[in-house]
Amino acid sequence: MLTFIIRRLLVTIPMLLVISFLVYLGLELTPGDAVSHMIDPEAASRMTEEQFDQLREALGLNKSFIERYGIWLMSVLQGDFGHSLSGGVAISTIVLDRLPATLELSVFALVFSTVFGCILGTMSALRRGSVTDSSLTVFGMIGVSIPEFFFGLVSILIFALHFNWLPVGGRLLPSYDSYFDHLPNIILPGLVLSFMMTAGVMRYSRSAMLDSLSREFIRTARSKGLPDWRINMIHGFRVALTPVVVLIGFRLPTLIGGSVIIEEVFQWPGIGSEFIEAVRGADYPLVMSIALLSVFAVLMASLIVDVLTALIDPRVRLS
Amino acid sequence: MTNAALNRKFDKIRAREEAGLNKPQSGSRALRKLMGNPLAVAGLVIFLIILLASIFAPLLTPHDPLKIDLRAMLQPPSAEHWFGTDRTGRDVFARILYGGRVSILVGLGSALIAAAIGVGIGAYTGYRGGWLDMIAMRISEIFMSFPQIILVLLMVSIVGQSLVNLMVIFVLTGWGGMYRMARARMLSLREEEYVQALQSFGVPTVKICYKHILPNALGPIMVNITLTTAMFILAEAGLSFLGLGVPLSIPTWGNILNVAKDLRVLENNWWMWLPVGTVISLFVLSVNFIGDGLRDSTDPTLQG
Repeated sequence: MLTFIIRRLLVTIPMLLVISFLVYLGLELTPGDAVSHMIDPEAASRMTEEQFDQLREALGLNKSFIERYGIWLMSVLQGDFGHSLSGGVAISTIVLDRLPATLELSVFALVFSTVFGCILGTMSALRRGSVTDSSLTVFGMIGVSIPEFFFGLVSILIFALHFNWLPVGGRLLPSYDSYFDHLPNIILPGLVLSFMMTAGVMRYSRSAMLDSLSREFIRTARSKGLPDWRINMIHGFRVALTPVVVLIGFRLPTLIGGSVIIEEVFQWPGIGSEFIEAVRGADYPLVMSIALLSVFAVLMASLIVDVLTALIDPRVRLS
Repeated sequence: MTNAALNRKFDKIRAREEAGLNKPQSGSRALRKLMGNPLAVAGLVIFLIILLASIFAPLLTPHDPLKIDLRAMLQPPSAEHWFGTDRTGRDVFARILYGGRVSILVGLGSALIAAAIGVGIGAYTGYRGGWLDMIAMRISEIFMSFPQIILVLLMVSIVGQSLVNLMVIFVLTGWGGMYRMARARMLSLREEEYVQALQSFGVPTVKICYKHILPNALGPIMVNITLTTAMFILAEAGLSFLGLGVPLSIPTWGNILNVAKDLRVLENNWWMWLPVGTVISLFVLSVNFIGDGLRDSTDPTLQG
């Protein structure tokens, strides 16, 4: 097992290094350097070339590209991503500030879509070919076809503007005293994000369940005269669950992607809306840092999934 | 089924054949199966309607999608303006039709280019293997470890917004999936006996690879193209909605929807965003139905 983890890390770490190098290269290629962003244009127009060079030297900008990459990588490893161009706040502060909102939304959607996706997928598999099955399949297709922001807008119109049941957007308002006051705020974005993902989980758990129901041990259980619910739930579903658990890890990219737009629609102050702001404002250091962090999250998730799969299935770790 | 039952079944079929009731079936088996799938047929019909309506937009509406008419601002749907007008008096119906041209071009065009590149590389490196295969695999892994929208937005922030840039970005983010799928098919197909036979005849590698093996992987490739098209159309709509996709001066489905960010428009002027959102959803749904039908009809192992 240990050798498997080490072997897997040997693939992931170089990958991260290459991506961080590309991200740094991207930073270099973007217009302007740190000096031109640091000084306001009026002061810059009065400065001489020499003064610029002095500043560059003080900041280490005249070192070679590789050297600067090394210095940047070292500080990133220590959690220092540099400063945002707008406002000059440390990027790590911004990220830490925004992370809880995104995590909250993601966990909500992850739990909701996993639970409902599994239930609906299992139902569909058990009644294969029935009206329930085909209507659920069509429902799943619709779920992946509607643009998520359009679905979000329609739900804002119905539940927030028309019926006035739920807030239009936002997260923590100054008038909220306790943490739980903002629960109504998460319902709409959370459900919209979950709805898009439930469809995927449903399709996946349906085929996993169909697969496990066709195995030999199900026939054995049936021949022993066990009741149907016991066969389906205890014997069938448990086996079908393993690939579904794996799927949770692989849904992370979808989750990050989905939450970027959903956060914008619902004015949810998470990493996603910060990322869009950064792209709009050409705040390159912030854009690159968030992109790098998202890649890190995705690679780590797939590493964990691989390790978990290897733990469950010995064939994987020996291959 | 027991032997006797099977025999009876064959006897029945033979009897029908001798009576001239069974016509020999023509055309490709996959196409027949696709046409037997009601959802896929519905998908094809919707797809063609929207596609043709966009192509023949000038025949369907007398209005110019860009013409500003300040005397006809914010009008609800009427006989003159089927889907009403927007804030500057532009006809929404015309904008949806002409916008469809750009959105479908971006979605379908990028998917086809991404497929050509991904399959082209994947088929060759998958067949040959070796260091070329390893390098291509690593490059695709780098692209695929980014969440798609993050990578797209990252590139938009570097190269800036334009129609061509967006298509290039979509191709760059989309070729990896095609490449992996084509490569995986190649890895299993190259072990087939007919490939060994071709090799022993001394047929050139490129010819074996593209002329003899690739057609056998066409099913999954087409399924993948439909899914990628759906993904790109949604991505274009999402990006344009954020104001980071195609420049706002060009009408696209996402750009038309952009106005719905304003809560007042959302609440009071439904005709400005509801029809176009429905059209996007229907179009993507039809593409997904076609893709699903293609999967069922081209993959003999999939019977669910």
